[in-house]
Amino acid sequence: MKNLSFLAILLLAAASADAQDSPGAPQPTDFKGVVLKNKAPVSNDVLRVTFRRPAEARLKNGMDLLVLEEHRSPTIQIEIAVPASTLYDPEGVPISAAMTSLMRLGTKTRDARTIAETLAGLGASITFNVGDRYAYARFSTLTENLDAVLELTSDLLFNSTFPEDELAKWKNQQLSVIQQARAQPEFLATERFAQAMYPEDRRSFVLPTADGVGRITRAMVLDQYARIYRPERGRVTVLGDVTARDIAPKLEKLMASWSGKGSTPPELPLPPASKGRRVILVNRPGSVQTSLYVGNHAIDRLSPDYVPVQVLNRILGGGPASRLFRNIREEKGYTYGISSGFSATRYFNHFASQTSVRTEVTADALREILKEFADIRTRPVPADELQNAKRALVASFALSTENPAAALSNATQIKEYGLPADYWDTYPEKISAVTAADVQRVAQKYIPLDDVVIIAVGDAARIRAPLATFGTVEDWDAEGRPVAAN
Amino acid sequence: MRAGRSFAVVLGIALLTAASAAETPSPLRPIQFTDTRLANGLRVIISEDHFAPVYAIAVTYGVGSKDERPGRTGFAHLFEHMMFKGSDNVGAGEHFFLVFNYGGSMNGTTNTDRTLYFEVMPRNQLDLGLFLESDRMRSLAITKENLDNQRQAVQEERRLRLDNQPYGKSQERFNELAYDNPAYHHSVIGSMEDLNAATVEDVASFFRTYYAPNNAVVAIVGDVDAKATVAKVEKYFGDIGRQPNPAAVDLSEPEMKAERRETIQDRLARLPQINIGYKIPSATHADYPALAALGQILGAGESSRLYQRLIKTQELCANVGSGSAQRMGPGLFNITCAVRPGKNIAEAEAAITEEVARLHTSPVTADELQRVRTTARRSAVSLRESALARAQSLADNAVLFNDPNRINTNTDKLSAVTADDVRRVAAKYLQTTNRVVVHTTPAAAPAAPVAR
Repeated sequence: MKNLSFLAILLLAAASADAQDSPGAPQPTDFKGVVLKNKAPVSNDVLRVTFRRPAEARLKNGMDLLVLEEHRSPTIQIEIAVPASTLYDPEGVPISAAMTSLMRLGTKTRDARTIAETLAGLGASITFNVGDRYAYARFSTLTENLDAVLELTSDLLFNSTFPEDELAKWKNQQLSVIQQARAQPEFLATERFAQAMYPEDRRSFVLPTADGVGRITRAMVLDQYARIYRPERGRVTVLGDVTARDIAPKLEKLMASWSGKGSTPPELPLPPASKGRRVILVNRPGSVQTSLYVGNHAIDRLSPDYVPVQVLNRILGGGPASRLFRNIREEKGYTYGISSGFSATRYFNHFASQTSVRTEVTADALREILKEFADIRTRPVPADELQNAKRALVASFALSTENPAAALSNATQIKEYGLPADYWDTYPEKISAVTAADVQRVAQKYIPLDDVVIIAVGDAARIRAPLATFGTVEDWDAEGRPVAAN
Repeated sequence: MRAGRSFAVVLGIALLTAASAAETPSPLRPIQFTDTRLANGLRVIISEDHFAPVYAIAVTYGVGSKDERPGRTGFAHLFEHMMFKGSDNVGAGEHFFLVFNYGGSMNGTTNTDRTLYFEVMPRNQLDLGLFLESDRMRSLAITKENLDNQRQAVQEERRLRLDNQPYGKSQERFNELAYDNPAYHHSVIGSMEDLNAATVEDVASFFRTYYAPNNAVVAIVGDVDAKATVAKVEKYFGDIGRQPNPAAVDLSEPEMKAERRETIQDRLARLPQINIGYKIPSATHADYPALAALGQILGAGESSRLYQRLIKTQELCANVGSGSAQRMGPGLFNITCAVRPGKNIAEAEAAITEEVARLHTSPVTADELQRVRTTARRSAVSLRESALARAQSLADNAVLFNDPNRINTNTDKLSAVTADDVRRVAAKYLQTTNRVVVHTTPAAAPAAPVAR
């Protein structure tokens, strides 16, 4: 039952390991925030994992079918994805979310309660969701309930009635969702950062407005449904306890009378880096911490710098072994956690470091974050630190094999972005090839310093003055409204 | 102090009745494991799973916030942080530095009853995981510098999770109101004052008393050979000295005679919230499975009674849920609901109380019980998809309940609950005189937006 193939072992070029044996070798790197005794037994072998590839076929309606059989446990997960985009939703009006929620709240033969009870009885979940490139229908079930869940999915996907009273209830509930989100400092920081990064379009709306919710009518939902869930150029992915031969005819039956072309995701430009230093303060009175975002635009998924950027981020802020964590949490004790990451997709191209620090050290923490940003731009990464990051990235592949969904997600990434078929097979070599010069080059290009967006959510009465030492402060309130300068 | 080996193989056997077998098409194979005790008292549990080239190790110590003495709340969790600050052969922070740099992941977590440390690593790093866990059990570095450093991190954790979050204060006060016995009365994270008061001597004595092999369980699940792995555990842990067993803490609670309630003003909250807790017995009590089933039927998911009534029909709540955590000592059956803008908190509470009262008299339906069994089966399936989840469950069940095989029997017990059981436990425990109620009122409510 072992489904993974291992090509023995991969040895990453061990620059630092060699150096230790030769006289006159460079001194070991000072890893700020940690003390290394180097006595623990480590294996320098890196398990090489080859991700399984799903079987591919084409359904009669033209949709691609990807099946990754996995009989470890009696569960099956299926995802139907068709081209569509929430980026067409009017600003602040969550029309796609209204549609997908109502698809679970009533069909010609089932009311909302019956649907919820049937799903719970089957131990199944069925969800609908529109993302920025695809609309999805996803379901997961115990193997023995596959046919019942397929029948129910078909009913929800094709016979939804979008009941007027359920829409009214859904709209009421959204007003509470908005209030609960606005109580969270992390949400407020995310919202402001998204608006700073993508001010011109729908990418900036991470939460609907109460007004936008109020504007939704049943006619709008029906119209949306007619345009969105169409099979052309779509794909179906299947993972779990079923064979391709068994599932294909069931899917053909499910989608027998489904036809039509949905919408093509929009052509939205990727914004260039924000110029100068912006300091944006969201006042949340009573806060005892400041939630920070420090970032700017960087790369999208197809950038040739995608691989060196992975290594760069691992060194700078990817996990507890990274510089930001070792300095700002372990050495300075300003925070419980800090990290950084690149959001690199078709429509999103930003980098940010995120943390929450106690109010009193807001300025100190910001200074340290910017100091780390400056350092990785100006000083070449020492060999052993580079080696650690590269090894970590490749060695952690072993952990992802425990969840076969990772292999399927890799396969769909290849399709969605038109990557070479052997992209993941050669990924370890691509990581191994990254040099200290590469890391410095991409750091200078993408780690923000003079051009940087700083978001701070906290008690303005206590943090406005310290923030002002970083630049002109733009003031906002927790309702998402600008506040006149004082 | 080499260990003499007692290699007892425990095969958990699921007892399937004819009735439950008929509703469960493919019975899951019980999770199999070996259960060994080294001479120094360390319990070692191994479960082989060769699906992926990884292993998970969970080390659970029989100590939690229940063991803290007055004036030292939060200490068990603060101590957990100290466990990453080095030992004789591992530098401060080197633990997580090595685990992450060699492709693994790790963390630690503390609750009222136990402290758990875990790593997931590629299979060729088995020695690394055992070395790191054994070195800190043997020789933790106890310095004032490390203590001050982690005190800050823990205080930031308290701010992040409690002091800077809506309802954080309410959750802390809720437990204080529910428990008279100091063991469960205070929060796991502890008070800022007590965290400030902790000394290096506290750390040293806590380490000596609780971080002994005879007060710990090591569970390893994954791509390992059970026999060879037990030998390796012996090699790394076998010479760590045993300590006198820590005295068991009295967890008993006086019977509640009357409802307790309180209202908390919360400047960070925007919607009112209701927290209700009924006192219930330990997870080992015969009534516990029926209470767990009850928690699902009443308030888990969209098919539950509270969801249907409070969210769909009456539209009083923004969210609602019910359930209980498995505890060594007396537990709480919780019901939580955030009240919608413009709705009345008393009306929402009355509706909840009415739904609870209905359980006292009319039986739950066969369909509702069927959903409980399906959910139990799904949870059992997910447990089989994660080596870490199994390692944690085995180690926790061994430390808390001296019964790692609960990993198998819990599902069966939950599946065997009848309508009569549910009605009986509802009538027995879900009584107004046996509950605490905390209301949270937003101190500075924003203008409520209105949908058009």
